[in-house]
Amino acid sequence: MTPPVLYALVALWTPAIAALLLAILYPLRKKGQPAAVVAILGSLVSLGAAITLFTDRLHDDATHRLVVPWIGSGASTIAEVGVHVDGVSASMLVVVTLVATCVQVFSIGYMHDEPPEAYGRYFTYHALFLFSMNLLVVAPNILQLFAGWELVGVTSYLLIGFYFKKPSAARAAVKAFWVTKFADMGLLFGLLVLFAASGTFGWEPTLSPPVATAVTLLFFLAVVGKSAQFPLHVWLPDAMEGPTPVSALLHAATMVAAGVFLVVRANPLFEQAPITRSIMLGLGAATALFAALLALVQTDIKKTLAYSTCSQLGYMVAALGAGSMLGGFFHLTTHAFFKALLFLAAGSAIHAVHSNEITDMGGLAKRMPLTATAFSVGALALAGVPGLSGFFSKDLVLESVEGKLGNVPYAVLMLTAFLTAFYMGKVVFVAFFGKPSGEKAAHAHESGPSMSGPLVVLMVPTVVAGYFGATFAKVQGEPYHFAFGAGPATASALGLAGIGLAYAVYGRGPRAAVPAPIAMIDRVAKTRAVNRVYEWGFRNVTLVLADGLAFIDRYVVDGLINLLGWGAIEGGRKLRPIQTGLAPDYVLAVVLGVVGLAVWAVFGSWR
Amino acid sequence: MNSHLLSIIVAAPAIAALFVMLTPQTAKLAIRVWSLIGATISFAGSLVAIRSYDTALGGLQRVEDYPLVPSMGVHLKLAVDGWGGPLLVLTGVILFAGVLASWTVKTRDREFFVLLLVLTAGVFGVFVSQDLLVFFLFYEIAVLPMYVLIGIWGSSHKVPPKGPFKFVWKLFDIGGKQYAAMKLTLMLLVGSAAIMAALFVMYLKAGGTTFDLGVLGATKYDRQTQIVVFPLVWLGFGTLAGVFPFHTWSPDGHASAPTAVSMLHAGVLMKLGAFGVMRIGMVILPEGARFWVPVVGAVAAINVLYGAFAAMSQTDLKYIIAYSSVSHMGIVMLGAATLTPAGWNGAVFQMVAHGIMTGLFFALVGLVYERAHTRAILKMGGFANVMPAVAAFFTLGCLSSLGLPGTAGFVSEFMVFLGAWKSGHYLWAIPGVLGAFVTAIYVLRATRTIFWGEGPSHDFHELSDPKKTEWGALVILGAGLVILGFWPRLILDYIEPGSVEHLGKVLAPVATLARLP
Repeated sequence: MTPPVLYALVALWTPAIAALLLAILYPLRKKGQPAAVVAILGSLVSLGAAITLFTDRLHDDATHRLVVPWIGSGASTIAEVGVHVDGVSASMLVVVTLVATCVQVFSIGYMHDEPPEAYGRYFTYHALFLFSMNLLVVAPNILQLFAGWELVGVTSYLLIGFYFKKPSAARAAVKAFWVTKFADMGLLFGLLVLFAASGTFGWEPTLSPPVATAVTLLFFLAVVGKSAQFPLHVWLPDAMEGPTPVSALLHAATMVAAGVFLVVRANPLFEQAPITRSIMLGLGAATALFAALLALVQTDIKKTLAYSTCSQLGYMVAALGAGSMLGGFFHLTTHAFFKALLFLAAGSAIHAVHSNEITDMGGLAKRMPLTATAFSVGALALAGVPGLSGFFSKDLVLESVEGKLGNVPYAVLMLTAFLTAFYMGKVVFVAFFGKPSGEKAAHAHESGPSMSGPLVVLMVPTVVAGYFGATFAKVQGEPYHFAFGAGPATASALGLAGIGLAYAVYGRGPRAAVPAPIAMIDRVAKTRAVNRVYEWGFRNVTLVLADGLAFIDRYVVDGLINLLGWGAIEGGRKLRPIQTGLAPDYVLAVVLGVVGLAVWAVFGSWR
Repeated sequence: MNSHLLSIIVAAPAIAALFVMLTPQTAKLAIRVWSLIGATISFAGSLVAIRSYDTALGGLQRVEDYPLVPSMGVHLKLAVDGWGGPLLVLTGVILFAGVLASWTVKTRDREFFVLLLVLTAGVFGVFVSQDLLVFFLFYEIAVLPMYVLIGIWGSSHKVPPKGPFKFVWKLFDIGGKQYAAMKLTLMLLVGSAAIMAALFVMYLKAGGTTFDLGVLGATKYDRQTQIVVFPLVWLGFGTLAGVFPFHTWSPDGHASAPTAVSMLHAGVLMKLGAFGVMRIGMVILPEGARFWVPVVGAVAAINVLYGAFAAMSQTDLKYIIAYSSVSHMGIVMLGAATLTPAGWNGAVFQMVAHGIMTGLFFALVGLVYERAHTRAILKMGGFANVMPAVAAFFTLGCLSSLGLPGTAGFVSEFMVFLGAWKSGHYLWAIPGVLGAFVTAIYVLRATRTIFWGEGPSHDFHELSDPKKTEWGALVILGAGLVILGFWPRLILDYIEPGSVEHLGKVLAPVATLARLP
C-alpha cells in the first residue's frame, strides 16, 4: 500500500465512519451539536488527506491503485472496488472535501434553529453524502463510480426531503430521485454493454466504434439526468426545496457535477465516440442558453442560482463534447468554488430576511457587508469578469468550442455569457443595493462566525483559482496555455456589458414594469411546458398502465382462478341431486351398470 | 454432536414446538421463550454450518444418511452444499426475527407458535434434504400449516373495494382471510400434484431404486421425458415462487396473513419454489431446462414488470409489498433462466436478499398495522413524525428494493442482469432494469404517502416507534441488508461453488452435443 493509496483510503473512510457512528449511536445524534462536531471532524480529516494527496501529485505522476474483489472472488470476480489515485481523482477530491467542509461549518449556524434531533439527522446525511461522493471520485472503475453515483442520489433525496413535513419538499425529493433514477438506467445499461464487449468495467478498453458510441450515449443519458441537462433538468430547480447549504453542496458544487466528472473520468471511452461528443456539444450549448433564459425571469434567489447551475453545467458538457477534458474539468472546479460561495451567501441573506424572494430583500449591502461582498465576488466570477477564476475557466471552454459545429455553439455560449452577467447583475442590484423593501430587510444583520467564516474561505479560491490553471493542467497531465486574445476579450466585454445593462435596468431596485423581452420569456416559462409533458406522461401512461395491469390481474388472471373454483362448487351442486338417498335409485344404477358391463363384454372388442 | 448438526437445525424448531404444546396456555412468556430457544438453536446452527463449509472442497458436506423406507430406497439424507448454507442462514434469520415480531400475538398464541415452528422445520428440511421424496415431504410440511395460520390469525377486508366490479369481491369474499387461505392452499396443492407426478416419473425412469438427488442428477433421462416433465416441475414449484400467471394466491395470501407468517412466507417459502425449480428441475432435467429456458426467462421478465406495475396501483400497504414480492421473485427466476454463473449466483443471492428485505417490510407493515389499525395508505400521512425509526427502516427496505448499490438488492439484480446480457437474451435484461425503475416509483410514492407530510391525523393516536423485541427484528434484518450490500462475498463465496457445480451438470452435455456434426 503506497502512501497515496493510504491518503485516499483515509479521505474515503473517515466520513463513512462518522456517518456510521451517527447512524448507530442514537444518543449522539439526538444531542444535535455533538453530531455536527463528529461530521465536521470527519470532513476535516478527509480534507487534510485530500490536500496531502494533491500536493503529492505535484511531484508524482504515477497512478496508484488498490483494488479488492467485491462481487465474486478469485477467477469468477465480476466487480472490484478500491481506490484509484491520479490527477483527476486527487483534484476532484480536494474540491469535494473543501466545499463540503465549508458547507458543513456554515450549516452549524444556518440550521441552528432546528430541533436537536433534526440537526443530528442533517449532519448524518452530510457525512453519508461525503462518503458517497468520495466513493464516486476515487472509483477505480465505472461500476464503483455508479455505486457512489446512486448513493449520492439517495443522499440528495434525503436532503431535499429534509423538511419532509412540507408537501412541496416531499414532492421535490421524490421527483429528483425519479428523474435521476430514470437517467441512471442509461449508466446501468452502458455498464452491461461495456462488460459484455470488454469484460471489464474500466474506462481503458478500446471498443469497436458502434459499441463505443452505444456505451457513451448510454452513459451520456445518465449525465443528462445527474447534471440536469435539457430535457431532464426539471428536478434541479425543484431541488431548491432543500436547506440552502445543501443546495450549495449537492445541487451546485459537487453532486450535479458528478455527470461531468463521469465524462472526465471516462474520457478514453468518449474519445472513441465522435458522434456522442457532437451530441454533447450541441446539447450542452443548448442547455446553457435555455437555462440562462429561464434564470432571467426568476425572482427566487435560489432558483436563479439553480438555473444558472444548469447553464454552467451546459458549458462544461459542451467543452467535453468539444474534446477539451481540461476545459470541462477546470470549469467544474472553479464553478464549484464560486457557486458554493454564491449559494452560501444567498443562504446568509435568506437566513437574515426569512425569504427567498429577491424582491423581499434590497439594500442588504449596508446591513450585511460581508455577505454582499461574498455574493458580489461570486457573481463577478460567474459573469466572467477578467481576473477572477470564472474568467479563466470560461475562456478555456469557449476556446475549445471555437470552430466546432459551424461555430453555432461558440456563438450560443458567448450570448449565454452576456445573459449570465445580466441575471447575476439583476440579483446583486435588487437584493443588495437600493432600498430595503421591508421591515425584515431593514433589520437584517450578519450572522455568527460559523456562517461568515466559510464565506471568507471560499472567496479565496473564487478569486485566485484562475491563476493556478497551469498547476491544475500539470496534475492532469494536459497541456495548458492562456493568452488574452480576441476570444477572452469579447467574452469579458460581453460580461461587462451584461452587468452594465443590468445596472441600467435594475440599478434602482426592482422595477414596476418588466422589460418586454423578459416579460415574454416569463410567459413562456410560466407554462411549465417541459414539466407538464412529464406530468401528463406519468398520469396518462404510467398510472393508466399500472391501473390497467392491476385490473387485469384482479379480474382476468385471478378471475380465471376464481372461475375454476366457482365451476367446482357449482358442478358439485349440480351433481348433488344424483345422490338421492333412495335405495331403488341405487339399485337401478347397479342394474344399469351390470347391463352396461355385459354389453361391453359381448360387443366391446370393436377394435 | 458436530456430525448431527443438520438434524439439530431441522429438529430444533419441531422439538421447540413440542415443548410449546406442553406449556400451559396461560404461561405467555414461557411459550415465547421456548419458541425463541428453538429459533436461536437453528439460527446458530445454520451459522456454524455455513462457517464450517469448506468452499475449496465444495460439493455435499456434513452428510447424514438414515434409511427411511429401504424397500423403496427412501433415505433421510441430509447435507449442506453451497446453496443450502446461505439459505439455511436466511431461514434462521427470518425465523428468529419472526418470533420476535410475533411477541405481541394475542389470540391462541400457543397454537400460533407451534404451527410457525413446525412450518420452519419443514423449510430447513427442504434446504438440506438430498432425497427427492424427503425433499417433497418437507416441502409439504412447510406449505400446509399456512392454511390454518392465515385462516385463524389472518385479517380480512382492510381496504374496501371500489369501482364497478365491487360485486365480484362480495361474490367470492375477495379480501377475506378464509378466501385467501383457501386459494393459497388449493393453488399450491395443485402445484404439488404436478411436482408429485414429475417426482414419480423421475423415480421410475431412473430405475425405481432410489430417490437420491445425486443419483437422479447423474441419470440421463431421454429428451422426450425431460421436455414433458420439466414444465411440471417448473410450474409446480413455480406456483410457490409466484410465477405468472400462477401468482395470484400471493397478494391475497400475504395481505391476509399475520405478520410473522407473511415474513416467513414471502421471505422464505417463496424461495422454496425457486429453489425447487433450480435444484430439482434444472439440475435433474438439464435438457428439459435448456429446451424451456426461453419460456421461463420470458415469463420471469413479465413477472418483474407486471408485478411492479400492479404494485403501483395498490392502495393497501400489504398488497403493495406482496406484489413487489411477485416482481422480485421474477428476478430470481430470470437469473435461473440465464443458465450462466453470474445469473445463478444472482438468483440465489436474490433469494437471500429478497428474503431479508421482504421480512423487514412485512415486519414493518405489521408494526404499522398494529398501531394504525388500517392498511389503507391513503388514510396515512406524516407517520415519520411519530415513528422515525420505522420510517428509516422502511426507507432502507425501499432502497434495497429498487436496487441501490450498498444494499443487498443491487448485488443480486446486477448479477442477474449481467447474466441475462451475457447469455444473449438482451430482451430479458431490459424489463429487469425497467422493473427496478418502476419499483423506485412505487416504493418512494408509498413512503411519501405514509411517512412524509404533516400529521399524523387524530385517528392515529397509538403510533409509536418499535418496542423491545420488535427492535431486535428490525435491526437484524436491516443490518443484514446493508452488510450483504457492502460485502456480498460473505455469502457469495458459498453460493459460487454451488452454482458452478450445479450449472456444470446443466450445461455439461452441451459440450458433447456441440462436437456432433
